[in-house]
Amino acid sequence: MSIRVAAVADIHLSEAQRGTYRERLDGIEERADVLLVGGDLTRHGTLGEGKIVADEFRGLPVPVVFVLGNHDYHSDVEQEIMAVLREAGCVVLDDSAETLLDGRLGIAGGKGFGGGFAGKSASEFGEPETKAFVRHTREIAERWRTALKSLDTEYKVVLSHYSPVKETLAGEPPEIYPFLGSYLLAEAVDAEGADLIVHGHAHHGTEKGMTPGGIRVRNVALPVLQRAYATYCLDAEEC
Amino acid sequence: MDTPHYVAARVQQAIAEDGRTNELGIRVDVRGDHLFLRGQVAGEDQVHLLTDVAREAAPGLTVHNEVTCVEVREPGEEEHL
Ligand SMILES: [Fe+2]
Ligand SMILES: [Fe+2]
Repeated sequence: MSIRVAAVADIHLSEAQRGTYRERLDGIEERADVLLVGGDLTRHGTLGEGKIVADEFRGLPVPVVFVLGNHDYHSDVEQEIMAVLREAGCVVLDDSAETLLDGRLGIAGGKGFGGGFAGKSASEFGEPETKAFVRHTREIAERWRTALKSLDTEYKVVLSHYSPVKETLAGEPPEIYPFLGSYLLAEAVDAEGADLIVHGHAHHGTEKGMTPGGIRVRNVALPVLQRAYATYCLDAEEC
Repeated sequence: MDTPHYVAARVQQAIAEDGRTNELGIRVDVRGDHLFLRGQVAGEDQVHLLTDVAREAAPGLTVHNEVTCVEVREPGEEEHL
């Protein structure tokens, strides 16, 4: 049986949007079985903004899965933001996995990080600051492998903020690609297998891409989609 | 007067780091006494804050704010994978 996945990222809510976002999600239960939100939920990453996000997504008729983005880390209260989202009944992935829809759909992922793409990426070499930057991505990719391995579901989807491939960055200046994603994320998912990878972060990027292993990648940043959310139907035969 | 190149970089940095804006994707160009802002943001209030931050970071330049709000349409058709 097919599953319809709705996805959006980079909603960047703040005080000005309080009470106004929810209407964009009206009727989502007729279009999708689950909603994935790929980070940059807030503008400044304050707890106040986190609470606005929680209120806008609370009690939706379909399960909601979040990861945070770099903006949500800006005020050093990312754990508190995750807690208020969970209190609102939503799932928050932090390099972890969750099984939904009676065990049929597995979602793995987290924020992800940068470093660049194969052949043009940073290495764990030189100054401690450079090593720490690259190591952060490497460790995330490792945890994603573990998370994906733990899933035994009909479909597997990966939710990230940073991009695993450069195809979905087309439109961004190539100079900043290393800050937009890392091939290590794609490599991890290609090794474990998944049906779809959803990410955001690249506001000027392109919706559609693919990993070297052939897994579909979708950049669902709101400025890219210019619609409330995208809907992807897994198992086309039945949709 | 500062080199336009560095003025633009300073304004872009200010827009990214100032707590009122924290916008990373705004393009800044300086031509003579004129400073141009381009890009998209999530909310109308954010557009005006960009002008404030740019003016403070580059006093003396005329700021032309061409930033628009992201338009959000209905969800539309689903894609079959
Ligand atoms: Fe964003
Ligand atoms: Fe981001």
